[in-house]
Amino acid sequence: MNPRILVPVLVAAYLAVPLAFQSNGYLLGLIVAALTIAGIAVAWALLGNLGGMVSFGHAAFFGVGSYVSAVLTMKAGVPVFAGLLMGGVGAAVASIATMPALRLKGPYFALAILAYAHIFQILAVQLEGVTGGAGGLLSIPRFPSVLGVDFGTKLGGYFVIVTIVILAALAYDAIRRSTWGLALKAMHDSELATRVIGVPSTHLKAVMLVVSAFITGVVGAFNAHFINFLEPDYAFSGSWTVLPIAAAIFGGYRTVWGPVLGALVIYLLDQLLFKEVLPHGHQLVLGALMAGMVLWSPGGLVPVLVRRKGGRAHAHA
Amino acid sequence: MLTLDRVQVSFGGVTALRNVTLGVGEGETLGLVGPNGAGKTTLFNVISGVVHPVSGSLSFRGKPLLREPEWKRARLGIGRSFQIPRPLHHCTVRENLIVAQRFGAGKVDPRRIDEILDLLKLAHKADRDAVTELALTEHKALEVGKALATDPALLLLDEVLAGLETAGKRAFMQTLGAVRDRFNLAMIVIEHDIPTISTLCPRVAVLNFGELIADGTPEAVFRDAEVIRSYTGEAVA
Repeated sequence: MNPRILVPVLVAAYLAVPLAFQSNGYLLGLIVAALTIAGIAVAWALLGNLGGMVSFGHAAFFGVGSYVSAVLTMKAGVPVFAGLLMGGVGAAVASIATMPALRLKGPYFALAILAYAHIFQILAVQLEGVTGGAGGLLSIPRFPSVLGVDFGTKLGGYFVIVTIVILAALAYDAIRRSTWGLALKAMHDSELATRVIGVPSTHLKAVMLVVSAFITGVVGAFNAHFINFLEPDYAFSGSWTVLPIAAAIFGGYRTVWGPVLGALVIYLLDQLLFKEVLPHGHQLVLGALMAGMVLWSPGGLVPVLVRRKGGRAHAHA
Repeated sequence: MLTLDRVQVSFGGVTALRNVTLGVGEGETLGLVGPNGAGKTTLFNVISGVVHPVSGSLSFRGKPLLREPEWKRARLGIGRSFQIPRPLHHCTVRENLIVAQRFGAGKVDPRRIDEILDLLKLAHKADRDAVTELALTEHKALEVGKALATDPALLLLDEVLAGLETAGKRAFMQTLGAVRDRFNLAMIVIEHDIPTISTLCPRVAVLNFGELIADGTPEAVFRDAEVIRSYTGEAVA
């Protein structure tokens, strides 16, 4: 990761934003929600850019991650931070169940994984003894205090999610720069050419799906412990798929920070501006914004910013 | 090292390969000729795992290949080029070779990559985009380079010389000879140009309508009446 980008990101994440907004609980809450979407958006972009797969099923991984962590912490006494990781693992395991869909391409893959997402939602409703059924789970434990820092507050939650998002973006960047990343990028347009030089393309795609699901599961688990409440319709809501896709495409899913920037811009604009002006139907403005961005810069917002700075656009990032 | 035993391939009702039995020894160079549509590329596709035969079997260094996917065959030591070059997209020339080496040979050895780039006269294009910034000869060289980077023992070359003018063809043929000697390779070479084949290959096999109709030295094969008939379509007096 280029330190000229990473250092400002870290300063903004750990100093500027907390200092500026620590007393404004409403705004901080919106930023946390935007970062939650950003985390899923990074995971979605990783699968879309490196795995070449358009997923409409990330709500499933988000929901599974949130339920796994909530249930483990509530019923098995697992510590909350360990629950985050277990939520990721749970989502990764769930993604293995969706792997038959990897044989499909393009829209067929997208539809199959959409169906899978619905299966997990039905499971959450039906497994009443574990998940609380349609009524959901209440009083999911908050984040604890660690070394005198209370992560159970809004500000504490902010530090948790911003760290998850930064780690996810760094993981995306590291994979992208590796030989694996080269092979994955080459696979979309030349899968046969990669296979005859020894690249097990299906395995690589499967690993990307697992990594993407893991990140999404951790984010889902974070959300459960942040809002302390879950129900199937909420945890598996299509919004957890649609908003991250919009954010990733708006910001630029072939770049590392595009999905994060896209999530912050789209979500905050929507909540602070469009919703004020148009209480009903503010999503309409969001849709128009998306369409405008795709027409103006199909690569999203980040390539535009990079070009403006006179730098060389990451044409094949 | 490579053995095909009664390999049969059909696409729908069309039989592309009929009962092909063929062997290639370590370090041997075999020329594969035949009219268009004779099944030459299909044979490469069978050996590299892209196409599955309906019957028959094949093995490489004693290991049965039928159940091995393309990428495992590449790791076992079967490298191939495509008639229409298939460079890896979104990668430079060097990155093409790095991916091939990392996955096909299971190692990272930049010196070996530099050596391949030098041998194939691609060093000056190493950091150019492999899809958009190469000339035809360089695309053909990269096809060979990707296969070489996987550390093959057997190299399948599908018309890598086709489309080049005479001087370029001669130069590239010398390069191929040098590559073969340097890496101690067995090769199967598909090529239409008979002088080229005769120079490069001490042994030639001829396919016609999916059947192997001749196999021997170039002198013997190109005098064979059936071979001449398959090419010219005329009876020989």
